[in-house]
Amino acid sequence: MAYVELHDINKHFKKFHASKDINISIEKGKLVALLGPSGSGKTTILRMIAGLEQPDSGEIIIDGKVVNNVPGSERGIGFVFQNYALFRYMTVYDNIAFGLRVKKVPEDKIKERVTELLTLINCEGLEKRYPSQLSGGQKQRVAFARALAPNPQILLLDEPFAAIDAKVRLELRTWLRQMITKLNITSIFVTHDQDEAIEVADEIIVTNQGKVEQSGSPQELYKYPATPFVAQFIGNSVEVNNYDEFKHFDRKANSSVAYIRPEFVSVFKKGESVQFANSAEEAVVEDIIFRGSNIEIKARIHGNLLSAIRSINDNEIKVGEVVDLFIYRIYVVEDDHVILATNNSLVDETIVI
Amino acid sequence: MNNRRSVIPGFGISLGITITILSIVVLIPLCSLVVFSAKLSLSEFVYTVTRPRILSGYFVSISTAFIASVVNVVMGLILAWILVRYDFKGKRFIDGIIELPFALPTAVAGISLTHLTTTNGWVGQIFYKLFGIKIAYTRIGITVALIFIGIPFVVRSVQPVLEKIDIQYEEAAFILGADSRTTFRKVIFPEILPAIISGFTLAFARSIGEYGSVVFIAGNTPYETEIAPLLIMSELQEYDYSAATSIALVMLGISVIILSINAVAQGIVSKRVNGKA
Amino acid sequence: MELRKENKVLKYVLVTISFIFLGVFLILPLIYIVITALKDGIAGYVNAVSDEYAIKAALLTIKATVFAVIVNTIFGISAAWLITKYAFKGKKILSTFIDLPVTVSPIIAGLIYVLTFGRQSSLYPILDSYGIQIIFAVPGIVLATIFVTFPFISRELIPVLTAQGSDEEEAAALMGAGTAKIFRKVTFPHIKWALLYGIVLCTARAMGEFGAVSVLSGHLRGKTNTLPLYIELLYQGYDFTGAFAASSILVVLAIVVLILRLVIEKRGQKELDLNK
Repeated sequence: MAYVELHDINKHFKKFHASKDINISIEKGKLVALLGPSGSGKTTILRMIAGLEQPDSGEIIIDGKVVNNVPGSERGIGFVFQNYALFRYMTVYDNIAFGLRVKKVPEDKIKERVTELLTLINCEGLEKRYPSQLSGGQKQRVAFARALAPNPQILLLDEPFAAIDAKVRLELRTWLRQMITKLNITSIFVTHDQDEAIEVADEIIVTNQGKVEQSGSPQELYKYPATPFVAQFIGNSVEVNNYDEFKHFDRKANSSVAYIRPEFVSVFKKGESVQFANSAEEAVVEDIIFRGSNIEIKARIHGNLLSAIRSINDNEIKVGEVVDLFIYRIYVVEDDHVILATNNSLVDETIVI
Repeated sequence: MNNRRSVIPGFGISLGITITILSIVVLIPLCSLVVFSAKLSLSEFVYTVTRPRILSGYFVSISTAFIASVVNVVMGLILAWILVRYDFKGKRFIDGIIELPFALPTAVAGISLTHLTTTNGWVGQIFYKLFGIKIAYTRIGITVALIFIGIPFVVRSVQPVLEKIDIQYEEAAFILGADSRTTFRKVIFPEILPAIISGFTLAFARSIGEYGSVVFIAGNTPYETEIAPLLIMSELQEYDYSAATSIALVMLGISVIILSINAVAQGIVSKRVNGKA
Repeated sequence: MELRKENKVLKYVLVTISFIFLGVFLILPLIYIVITALKDGIAGYVNAVSDEYAIKAALLTIKATVFAVIVNTIFGISAAWLITKYAFKGKKILSTFIDLPVTVSPIIAGLIYVLTFGRQSSLYPILDSYGIQIIFAVPGIVLATIFVTFPFISRELIPVLTAQGSDEEEAAALMGAGTAKIFRKVTFPHIKWALLYGIVLCTARAMGEFGAVSVLSGHLRGKTNTLPLYIELLYQGYDFTGAFAASSILVVLAIVVLILRLVIEKRGQKELDLNK
């Protein structure tokens, strides 16, 4: 059942059309990511749900009630700001207690709740510190606790990991996911990082140029991109214009562009593969990038530079080497939708692999 | 944007307080100036402001203010430079004392400068005996008083900009073989030019309107050392409000022109640096 | 390094020029005031300073200053809050009007109040029927003092509030806090040093205003004479010792202001660094 719904939302900032006919439906208890490049309107959507911005038209519905005219403070939401917006002149304790004090909760109840939250975020003993004395990760967790203190029904997070070092970020992602699952609170977070969205969210809403491009589970989005934008945005796709020149791929009508991901491509040393001996094509290796756990090979074929991943344990390939390259699948853009085309040799029995 | 309401409460009350006080202190008096000006007859206005004595007043005010502001640009640049770039004894003292003209009442400064620069004052007698130059009760005296009140303007607008200039620019110029004079002219000067212009125009605008520090040292001889604000003052003392307003309108016009020149100059410079205004 | 060596000569030249310039233009006048004030000995000084009219003038100056500071503080806070926390039409025009008073000659400031509240004004009969006298009376002096220091506080607060952003206020508002609570708990701690700084500047300028007050005061000794006007009166009566003695009070206050300014700036900077 939909808990948060946006119906035909439009929003302008002066002449800039920030949200175009936005329709979103989010189920209770889900952890949802709003994913898109910067300027795609994802933060605007979040801020409208929070009541920080007013839509020009359309309805925002929370728990079955239209909340357009309900102030943000009465929508039952908690908000974690991008830079946390911790009150710099209050201690950690006072920060977390703020929302409860506004609601005139008795001081002993406040103490109980703050202590409980400090334990939850592993920040016991930090209550007397000021935000400037905390590390990035601690600030983030305090901001999280402050948002949770008044028991909101929905948690909104604006780029929650953007201001944190890469190493701590990975830890925090896992932590946040566990926390939210444990609390079973409907959560929406904004991010421009697809890895983050795929790893953390139950559901992803992809935005681009003020519109919702597609929404669905990470797997769905990854496997079945519905629009050309999603096809090229998710994964490290390479754009190819002459895909019909590739062996065993036919040109589809009304289409010119295709996207190929590294995981759709295999590269073999000459004669290494028996399976694809006939259906592979020759390519020239132009660059080899050592990625630690694997190796990325960039090889030129029909004028396109395609990427492929090889295991550390495979035989070494050198720059300039002629290799066999096999493409399993490509995304072909036809009009405004995307179809997955599979190498004919894999489907057509008559072709000898 | 009409429909953009901030979630932060208090828009109404802060708007109310701001507009109320602004109206009483600034808007209503300004309106009455406009209303009164509209009642002036054009011929009377032109006759008043083109009287030789009034024209001479404008000339004295503008010329002394201009010279004083030029002196302050040079000295302000030097002061800002030594405060930002050098370490020396008494630096904090200089940094603090520069603000004195803002803090010291202008009348107090005026009488003190006057006494110092009369022909038998501490400084005045040196100049009179050695060079035969009189300072107090001449235009030189007016300029001295205006230099005094204008000191902080250029320093305080150039200083923060100079502080922000990354030392790497100069190091880059140095490594590329530029000597320090070239570096200053080509690298630093363009960066601080907008601040110099705005410091100059602020000092200039303030100097033209200055009254307190100048009346004592000027001597107020008609056609010689009578400044425009003093002329307004004397018309007011004779209850000739029309004449006072006419003189004031021309001065306001001059201020507007000076401040617009500044705005245009800032626009040109920022266009050159940022590619757009 | 060659660069450094060349600068050393230049440094001494520039520093020396600066000391001479400031010495002549700023320090010498101060010393002169103190010496002249004490020319007739301590007794003469005390006598001049404790003159009945001197004390009355000082009290009026304090009164006008206190009024100006209170009004400008209320105005400065609400205007700075309005300009930095909300988007609305006419913001630019509002800022221009707030800054206008300091670009106008003090004499012209006085003039526009004379035009507004003087005998020829259409407001005059209304105010007169209530017995309110503004021109050539204390209210005129207070208004003129407010006018010449009008933007002093908002101008200090606006950059601080702009740099701070509105996130913390938005967060507090989302948790349901009202205007008073947000201002007191969240915003005020950020601006307290800037506010104090603005108040100090406002006080300094208010105490010393001469031109505008001169236009609006009736120059009634003991009634509408502020300290600077009283100094003018003594000076024109050739009572130089008295004039300089009265001036020395303002000199001391000016020096106090300068020291306060440095202290506040340092404290504020320290706190700013701490909260980075």
